[in-house]
Amino acid sequence: MGKTKLPIDNSIRTLRAQHGEMTQQALADAIGVTRQTVIAIEARKYSPSLEVAFRIARVFDESLEAVFLYTG
Amino acid sequence: MNAGFEEKSAWVQFGALVLVLGSYFLAATKMYSAGGNDIRAYVPVFSISVVLLVVTLIAGNIVAVATSKGDQSDERDRMIAWRSEYLSSWVLGVGIIGAICAMVFGINNVLVAHGLLASLLLSTLLCMGLRILFYRRGV
Repeated sequence: MGKTKLPIDNSIRTLRAQHGEMTQQALADAIGVTRQTVIAIEARKYSPSLEVAFRIARVFDESLEAVFLYTG
Repeated sequence: MNAGFEEKSAWVQFGALVLVLGSYFLAATKMYSAGGNDIRAYVPVFSISVVLLVVTLIAGNIVAVATSKGDQSDERDRMIAWRSEYLSSWVLGVGIIGAICAMVFGINNVLVAHGLLASLLLSTLLCMGLRILFYRRGV
């Protein structure tokens, strides 16, 4: 089954690695979503709400632009 | 399968509906072909099907919960549910309008009732199918 690539790219996988190999479950718990949603965001199969995007940026202590990039 | 509770539940509902109500429609078709024009004759078979459907859904959802590590639904689950319901609700609407037209033209009430039931089944199957598709391909 083909994958949908949404136009918002992200560097979450890299940032997780830079933060002590943070697991997807740990990130999911920190931002209040399921692990499946973190997987979908990383794979560009789901664009998070602005609120969740800000929560992700806050977890990594980065700006929104450092985490998400609009490629459309 | 890397799926959360909501996706597993959609699979359970899809499978249970196909299996149980699909079997009911096969039985109802045979009854109608054999001259079953009284709607009351279908009630026992339909009642058994509903009980089987409920039991299957409960058992399937217990398995889905047990294998989902206590997942709570989140914004992605809500968006997928809303979008799939929005895209599938027209099927039920068509069925209702069709049933009204059938009643106006005096079509047998066995056919009207089963047409309505079929539209409800197809609408729900489309909804669950879209949920699974959105979970697998993205939304």
